Amino acid sequence: MRLTFLIFAFFIAIISSVPGQGIGGPGTIKDDGRFAASTKQLNQFFRRFNGEESVDGNIRFYPGDSLYQNPALRKGFLSILFDNQTSSISPQLKQEFISYVLSDTYPYFLNFQREGWYAEVDTEFFFKGKREKVTLIMKIQPERLGFEWVIDQVIFPPFKNLFNKPVGESKDFLHPLSHELGFMNLRRAFQDSKLPESFTANSYKPDYLSIFLYEMKQNNLRFDTVSGVKFHFFQIGGWYFEVNQFNRPGFNTGWLISNLVRLGPGDKETILKYIYDQD
Amino acid sequence: MKNKFILFLGLFLSASLAVMAQDNISPARKQAIDSLALEKVKDLSKYIAIIGSKETQFSEANRVMDRAEELFAPGAEMGVSSINTKEIAYYKVRRYFERLMALNYDRVNITWYDIQYISDLERQPDGRYVGVITIYQRFEGTSIETGMNYRDTTKKDITIYVEKKQTQIAGRTIEFWDVMLGDVRVTETSA
Repeated sequence: MRLTFLIFAFFIAIISSVPGQGIGGPGTIKDDGRFAASTKQLNQFFRRFNGEESVDGNIRFYPGDSLYQNPALRKGFLSILFDNQTSSISPQLKQEFISYVLSDTYPYFLNFQREGWYAEVDTEFFFKGKREKVTLIMKIQPERLGFEWVIDQVIFPPFKNLFNKPVGESKDFLHPLSHELGFMNLRRAFQDSKLPESFTANSYKPDYLSIFLYEMKQNNLRFDTVSGVKFHFFQIGGWYFEVNQFNRPGFNTGWLISNLVRLGPGDKETILKYIYDQD
Repeated sequence: MKNKFILFLGLFLSASLAVMAQDNISPARKQAIDSLALEKVKDLSKYIAIIGSKETQFSEANRVMDRAEELFAPGAEMGVSSINTKEIAYYKVRRYFERLMALNYDRVNITWYDIQYISDLERQPDGRYVGVITIYQRFEGTSIETGMNYRDTTKKDITIYVEKKQTQIAGRTIEFWDVMLGDVRVTETSA
């Protein structure tokens, strides 16, 4: 803990004394080190995590550069990539994670273009005239000459109660000899029942994203604004962490790790299910 | 404008000739592109300060708005949020400048922090590269009549599009990299 503090203090001291280049020349305001210390972009989170830029962020290190992915540089960076003010990640867990990532034999790195990280985007839409919160789960995918962000799932509360397939005795059904009657009893499913999902297969899962897109095409949904973004990372084997943006006074700001979990067997699937279903 | 065109041609011709056939951006080329992008951001900062200043004549402000608009790719927008409201308000670039010009302060002072951050360039599906430059601006506005003083510091994340283009010089086709500004995210900071 004391060592982490010393490393952190060392970084802040270096960052504070970095002369800025300034975009406006004379008359610019000198940063007291807070903006330099802030992890200003998620891109900077990646570079700091991997040890691919100088302490002040002005020099990008490439393969072949002496400091490229340097373990000591990474150690300094990793210690300042955690939210130290509001998150309840224990110092011990943090230390275990840092040691794991910086392993001498198999160090771990983040890769922008590799799968295993997701954006959770909170938005607001007008649905049939009423303002509603919508969460989009997004991921990066290759497309033609480059990459693109795509919507992988939508979490929209008004859809959640739309398909409540009953179970047990309350579930209606089409009897097993319906075929002998040419399925004339489909009328029960489509006209008489208010829960037509009762007549679907066990494997049935509503595709909320398709419904969402359909409603948009019907002009029932209109985008209004984005209200928040956070990221989920599964790229470090055996670990999950969440990255949030912290806009507050001080030096511990910007994109920082706000949640860290060591994954046991099946934990990744459970967390992914939670992220995607938000149940 | 013409001078700038010549400047960035000069910046890139030497590098372009050696690696004209390849589309990957080398570290040296990336650095040259960063400089060019930063030049455009500097221009934008300068224009914002002129547009926001009460000493700027209306006709001059309009002329500067035209220049500033030319830095942007068509359809670029400003997305603005404050500490109190996380929701983003969207403005077309021109509309943003017009709102800036119409601010009801007698004295407006716009300055910039001596810090910026330039992201890596990632390739998008159409082959163009995209990056983000982050800068910090301080705004100070004073109203003499009400004695009101307003001050804020905003973080500006500016999209840059980098595209390989061609031009003819003395019968030869020369390739060069052009930079355009795109959407800008404006976030009020706690500083």
